[in-house]
Parts: sequence; structure tokens; C-alpha cells
Amino acid sequence: MGLRDVAIVAYAETKIALRSGSDPYALAGDVTDALLAKSGFDKNEIDGLIVAPTLTGARTSFWAQCMAEFLGLELAFTDMTDLGGCSPAGAVARAAAAIDAGLCSTVLLINSDTPSTHYEYANYAFHEEWADPYGLMSAPGAFGLLSQRYRHQYGLDDHALAKLAITQRRHAILNDNACDKLRKPITVEDYLNSQMIADPIRLLDCVMVADGANGLLVTRRDIAKRKKLDMFVVPSGYGEMTNRGASRSIIDITETGHAQAGAKAFAAAGLKPSEIASFHPYDDFLIAIMLQLEMLGFCDPGQAASYIHATDLGFDGTLPLNTGGGQISAGQPGLAGGGTNLIEAVRQLFGEGGARQVKNRENALVTGIGWIPYGRNWGSSVALILTPDA
Amino acid sequence: MEAIDDTFDISRGAIASRPFSQAFWDGSREKKLLLQRCVRTGQYQFFPRPVSIATGRKDIEWCEVDGRGEVYSFSIARRGPGQFQQAVPYALIIARLDVGVDIMANIVRCPAEELAIGMRVKPFWMPLPDGRHLLQFQPD
Repeated sequence: MGLRDVAIVAYAETKIALRSGSDPYALAGDVTDALLAKSGFDKNEIDGLIVAPTLTGARTSFWAQCMAEFLGLELAFTDMTDLGGCSPAGAVARAAAAIDAGLCSTVLLINSDTPSTHYEYANYAFHEEWADPYGLMSAPGAFGLLSQRYRHQYGLDDHALAKLAITQRRHAILNDNACDKLRKPITVEDYLNSQMIADPIRLLDCVMVADGANGLLVTRRDIAKRKKLDMFVVPSGYGEMTNRGASRSIIDITETGHAQAGAKAFAAAGLKPSEIASFHPYDDFLIAIMLQLEMLGFCDPGQAASYIHATDLGFDGTLPLNTGGGQISAGQPGLAGGGTNLIEAVRQLFGEGGARQVKNRENALVTGIGWIPYGRNWGSSVALILTPDA
Repeated sequence: MEAIDDTFDISRGAIASRPFSQAFWDGSREKKLLLQRCVRTGQYQFFPRPVSIATGRKDIEWCEVDGRGEVYSFSIARRGPGQFQQAVPYALIIARLDVGVDIMANIVRCPAEELAIGMRVKPFWMPLPDGRHLLQFQPD
């Protein structure tokens, strides 16, 4: 048994909406209903649940158990993946590990959050003492510091960033689940002229927080085979790194844990970056995509801009990038946001990409980014390679 | 280029310390920069932790340092949280001290055109209402 002995048999996603007025439990109900309808599984076959954390429900410490109760699930395995934006991809590996250990056989993965309607998160971390007194504006502030250092070491090519923004926006326009507010074309000038938030971070570098939910149904591969399902997706490689360089007081802020996480995922899948058929990187800020291209080995450090200019990143191009628009152009449904690009990758491998279907469905690479530690880039990095199987 | 606000008019409220950061704040009363240093490896660390990040052990000592270093990176905030919105544009830096730690703070008394990566900085102690001081940086 191992990672490859589990099967993702269904995916589901709500529309991403700004100030929906909804609630994480309500949207989780929508996702559960859709997963059962699409997979043909009975609710009572589900014996595992893994949830992502939530900003709306951040005041409770009993999120996974509450979700089980609201959804009427009796479970042999219940967990929350506490990895911020890495949680949804990390949950796929945890589901595989739990199934491999014999703890359960069919796991419901639920990521649901409505922070643009109701926000409850509060730091209990370094911020109160070491960041808030300086007016550090959370994520944009930290990515401003990161971007300025990147500019110093390698140069920062605004036109490469603009290409990422425009490409993802074009994909969001083809994605009915993307937030309606963002489904309008943008130009290079729109990107360059967008308002500076935390120099050199512009408004169009950033995600917009919204509401939404998504989920997967993961089971033992032999169960999927026995049910004669037409299609399922197998996780063929996974790597995870939290708190890279933790023992050292100073590090190079332009290096991330995706170097280690990616190497591990590629080795397990038996693939090289050049063999990746579509790329679905976590995108809270555009520069995060550049750093991941470098750290995952698509190009050398400092070469992401050249790589972006030389590569067709459209859904019909040579390396399709975030074909649903990414979080930056589809909207970030809070801590469910790590599932946005994951679900799109699974959808593409199922061949259900519609007007934005990629040609090459041999595999897909999904990543996660989670948490922003003190004075560094990000806390957790994950890489997940998915392969279709019938 | 526009002027960078020193953020002196922004109330910092009551900054709560932790059991293992108390010594830093006590030192700030006398404008002394105290950093934790791992006894086994000699590595300084910031922010204060309950253990050495090098060894995971509790044998760490507090040492006074002069706080000199250089700008490792910076960002100009054009929007600020809460009261800080009144101070935009203001600057955040990561100061990389000569003793080998990174500290995030505002840079004050710095002409905007001089702010650059590699610029030498030293501490500026901004008074807090309770007699402690907030560590900031200024050009050296």
C-alpha cells in the first residue's frame, strides 16, 4: 500500500462568491451532496473525514467534530489538516496515509470557508509583539519585503508578472465557478497601473478573499476498481516541508521549501519538471508563482521571468497554468482556497475542463503555500502530483 | 519621492510580552538591545523563543548587542491596518544585524531616496507610554 493505492473518485466545488451570506456548514453540505451524487457512493461508506481550517469558524477548537455532526457522519478517522493554504493538498496525502494504515477506507475531504461574510480569525503568534506594533499589513506586507529582496538579487520583471496576471484572468473568464467580480479581461497596462499596496506589491498581485467550498472523495484503489468507476485520479507523488531553515537565524528569503517538497514529489512520481502536463501552483501573490517555478526546478533561481516569457502558459499552451484562473483571478475562499487549484487539476484530469480543457492529461502538479512566519516567505510548502487512472 | 512617515503619532497600545520575552522588554526601558544567544552554538536568535532554535534546549543567555546592521529588505506601506492608515506611506524593513539575526521594524528619520538594501542602520528607541521602548531602526 502507499500513496498510489488510493483513488480520488470525485471532486466538487461551489461557485466562489464575494460576501455570499452563506456559511461553511451550508457550503460543506453542497459539496458533500455533490460528491455522493457524482461518485455513486453511499454516505455510510464514508468512514473518514479530513477538514481544512476555517477563518469563519476560527473561534472553535472542534471544527472537524462539528463538521462530522452537521453532516451526519459516523467515522473511524477524523482530522483537521492545520497547514493553512497547504491543508487541502496535504489532506490528500493524509487521507492516503490513514487508508494505508488501515484506519479507514473512504475519506471525505472538505474545505469550506466564508470569510468575506463572517471573519473570526485572530493571531495568537508572533504578530502581537513583533509585527503589529510596526503596522505590518499581514500578507501584502510580508510579500512586499520578499519582492523587494527578490528584485535586489535577481531583478523583478513587471511584464512577466503581468503575463501571469493576464493568463490567469483569461482562464477565470472561462470558469463559471470563478468569482463574478473578477471575470473581466485585464491588460498589461491594467496590471502596471494597479494601485500599489505594499511597494512593490500591487493590487493585481494579490488574491481577493471570498467565500466558497470544495472537496474530494478518496477511497482505496481496489474499492474504486471493484465499483468499475469510469475514471479516477491517483496521487503519484507528494512532498511537504514546514519551517524550512528552522534552526538558522538568517536565511535567503527567496528560497522556499518547495525545493525539498518538489524533489520528493517528482522522485515518487518518476517525473521531471519538463514532463509536467499542467501546473496548478498555489497563488496568493503572483511572485509566489515565480518562486515556485524556480524552487520546483522548472528553471534556475532568478530565471522565472525568462521562463515565463518563453513559455505558453495558456490552457492550450505548453505548460497550462492555473487553468481555472488560480485564486488570484477566481477568488480565494479563505482557508478553502488551497483547494481551488487542486480541484481544477482533478477536473482537468477527469477531462471535464470544458472550454478550457488541457490537451495533455497525463499528469498535473498542484502545490500549496501555508502561513507566513516572522520575516520569511512562507511556513509550509507542499507539492502533489496527480495521475489519471481508469 | 515622497517623505516616509516615522509613525511616531501611532499609538502602539499595551504590547503584551511572553514569559520568554520579558528580558527584551525590560532592557528596552534603558534602551538596551538584549538578544537571546544559544550557549552551545553561540547563535543569536530573534524573536525571543522558549528554547534555542539551534538545539531545542533551554540553555540560552541574554546578551546586549549594539544592534548595528544593514537593510536586508524593505517595503513602503501604501495602506496600513487600523491607525496605521493615517501614517501612509511608511516603511517596514528587515534589518539584518551584524550578529546574525533579522529584525522587522519601521525605519525612521530616513529620507525616502536613501532607503536601499544594504544601507547601514542602528537602533532607534521609540518611547512607549509605560516606560518601555519600541525597537525601531534609523540610518547609521
